[in-house]
Amino acid sequence: MRRPIAISLAFLAAVPLLAGVAGLPVHGDPSAPVHTHVSARYIEHGVEEAGASNLVTGVLLNYRGLDAAGEVTVIFTALIAVLAVLTVASTRDADASNHDGRVRRSDADRRHPDHPVSPIVHFVVRLIAPFTALYAAYVILHGHVTPGGGFQGGAILGGLFIALTMVLGKERTRPLVRPVLAPWMQGAAVLTFAAVGAVGALLTGVYLGFPVDPSLRIVRDLMLIALEVGIALGGAAVLAMIFLQMEAS
Amino acid sequence: MHLWPHWLALIVLTPLVGAALTPVVALIDRRTPTWWALSTMTVTSFAATMLVLRIFHEGPFSYVPGGWTAPYGIELHFDEFSAVVGVICLVGWLAVLFSSRYTDSLPEFARGRTPYYYTLLLLNCGGMIGFTVTGDLFNLFVFMEVLSLSGYALVAVGGERIAEMAAFKYLLMGAISSLLVLFAIGFLYGITGTLNIADVTARLHGFEGPTAPAAVALGMLVVGFATKAAVFPLHVWLPDAHAAAPSPVSAVLSGLVVKVGVIGMIRVYRIYYGSGMFDLTVLNLVLIWLGAISIVMGAFFAVFQDDVKLMLAYSTISNIGYIVMGLGLATTYGVIGASVHIFNHALIKATLFFAVGAIIYRTGYRTLTDLRGVGRAMPLTAVALSVGAISIVGIPPTAGFLCKWYIALGAFQADRPFFGFVLIFGALLIFIYYIRMVNAFYFREPVHAEVAEAKDAPVSMLLPTLVLASLCLIMGILGRVPLTFIEPGVARLLAPLGG
Amino acid sequence: MLTALWHNIDYVASVVLFCIGLYVVIAKNNLIKKFLGLNIMETAVFAFIIALGVIEDGQPPIMTGDAHGPFASPLPQTLVLTGIVVAVSTTALALTLIIRVYRRFGTIEADELRELE
Repeated sequence: MRRPIAISLAFLAAVPLLAGVAGLPVHGDPSAPVHTHVSARYIEHGVEEAGASNLVTGVLLNYRGLDAAGEVTVIFTALIAVLAVLTVASTRDADASNHDGRVRRSDADRRHPDHPVSPIVHFVVRLIAPFTALYAAYVILHGHVTPGGGFQGGAILGGLFIALTMVLGKERTRPLVRPVLAPWMQGAAVLTFAAVGAVGALLTGVYLGFPVDPSLRIVRDLMLIALEVGIALGGAAVLAMIFLQMEAS
Repeated sequence: MHLWPHWLALIVLTPLVGAALTPVVALIDRRTPTWWALSTMTVTSFAATMLVLRIFHEGPFSYVPGGWTAPYGIELHFDEFSAVVGVICLVGWLAVLFSSRYTDSLPEFARGRTPYYYTLLLLNCGGMIGFTVTGDLFNLFVFMEVLSLSGYALVAVGGERIAEMAAFKYLLMGAISSLLVLFAIGFLYGITGTLNIADVTARLHGFEGPTAPAAVALGMLVVGFATKAAVFPLHVWLPDAHAAAPSPVSAVLSGLVVKVGVIGMIRVYRIYYGSGMFDLTVLNLVLIWLGAISIVMGAFFAVFQDDVKLMLAYSTISNIGYIVMGLGLATTYGVIGASVHIFNHALIKATLFFAVGAIIYRTGYRTLTDLRGVGRAMPLTAVALSVGAISIVGIPPTAGFLCKWYIALGAFQADRPFFGFVLIFGALLIFIYYIRMVNAFYFREPVHAEVAEAKDAPVSMLLPTLVLASLCLIMGILGRVPLTFIEPGVARLLAPLGG
Repeated sequence: MLTALWHNIDYVASVVLFCIGLYVVIAKNNLIKKFLGLNIMETAVFAFIIALGVIEDGQPPIMTGDAHGPFASPLPQTLVLTGIVVAVSTTALALTLIIRVYRRFGTIEADELRELE
């Protein structure tokens, strides 16, 4: 019953969309507005104006800095949302299951607390861990000249944390998420943006402004690197804590 | 003071940074997040006041973070419609105050949800503020996601039985509508090469080339924002979500978050009215009809609800119908009425949800049958509830009257008197459920001892409720002020570019 | 029309993907599968926006010493970077909600949940 409706709706959506894409400028056409209007300036002057050879980083952090600030707010929101929804009492769940008897025991109860990890996985994860960390640092700090940047490096760092936690157990990685430090790390990206933006406001007179004066080039580069590092730490913290919270509940 | 240029950046920044610091201040003490959220909203409200003062003085103005002028950077643009930040801050501030006691009654909150709850509330307000003041299409999308994600989570935190299910339904429809908006932004970017709303409008003005992408983008944007605004038949997520959320959250969601869809539609309409690409008569007719169906259907379902919060949720659909109908009429009166109803309905619906929330907090019941006689037990709360109810029906001299009157005038101005009558019929239906409520609360004997013995709400709940209720009356008496204030904005919205 | 579609086959592919995702969202009964459908739709939109920035014989927009044009437009890539983060966030929250729904009702099939509600 639902299938025919779904098929007809999908086709109903497809027809106007196809008509729409047929009217777009030809794919890859250099004279399309996408290439001649705003992007043209980015490509022409982006390197000296934004301070990054990788124009994607330049556009993300400098020209459209507010988007990146919004973006880190979105992942922060996701983290807080996950924390809020999953901070629940296990007793209440138990009550619910007693009530209607439908709810099975939660996965956490059934699983053995110290699930053994294959020695091969254990060895390999520990072996590659320092290299992964190094790679993450490279991706973060080289974001302005090569593909990469804060988000990508942060994802690698977060993944590393998750792999280590799964292999070594929570006890070994807990020092990294001390309760006093954790909330600062969660908001690291948002706070870094606010701080760098305020510095920019002091130097240039507009929020999130970057000094363009050649003598202040070093300040600009430092601000960009601070943003990248902040984004990376915040992103990694978000991923790690979503994982910890999901595992704990 | 109000000409200091950074208020516009500050109003976007403050709630977001405040939110990021809320988990940090929660380390100090269990109560600090409440105070922190309150002071954050105070600073934000102050910035909002400054911005509204400035627009009174000199009209719309812009701020370019990063110093890159549009279209190369992102532009924050404050116009008459952005003045809705005033009501966002007001309702947000009062919702935080209201929550300070209310959340204690929720079993889940004893176990550490409180700081996250305030963080989400601040993020939600920050997202809405960013959404209303940005002048960039993609930035609009980003802020929309901040407010949507926090909205989905806020629905789920209350711990009602169906809360998570309702939140998931909300998330699924919300995410699809966000994707439609993003897809449409892609289309617009593909044919114009820019993301700035004013620049897109300018480049579509006298656009040569296939218009199909722009038409498809218009369709997707309208459908996407209509889903966010819960216009019939895309409203299915709303009743459960708004009824399952904690009451202060319901006030924010019903009063403010659904309006984001409408404001999005206004932004889209600016592009298409301005560029003069299409004759929008057909689309407007569709909107008028959908608005009319929403009015009647929302009111109809509301009449048959026993659950008070569900009733209010359905009445939101009905009121969104008024706003969408006013927009679709595309006459000065209609659009002015619709825009002012965005403000006024936020006040009215927040009053109602606060009052109902206080009643639920005191008695623990939420259906009309269970709550019989509560009006005599909780006199002040019930008075506020009645004021809200009178306003939502649209009886003069309350806030609901003038904007509905203007929308009806707009219908006659557009030579569609039929819809004027639909509007009055909808108001009559709403009147029926108001009568049911007054009858149950004042003239029936209580069935539960808790209801008969209930005291009036604590000050932290009573104060926001009464403030909003008195604003419903004040806005009714001073109703002309917002109407004249929004008029230049509406004139600019409807006028084609360069004409 | 058909020639135009053929030239824009990249965009057509994302439209097809989008509709497949829409079909999955509506037709599937399992909440996780519904959400996977949404992820397909997200991917489709990202592919579409990325494809907008492609230029004939283009290079990636990284201006190291010996790079020479034409360069692909950096803006769509930036947008998609943001979009992906948004999508990840939505996914995290959705999976969380599904976990909670399962804990409460013991099922994540939409029709069974409707009966339980």
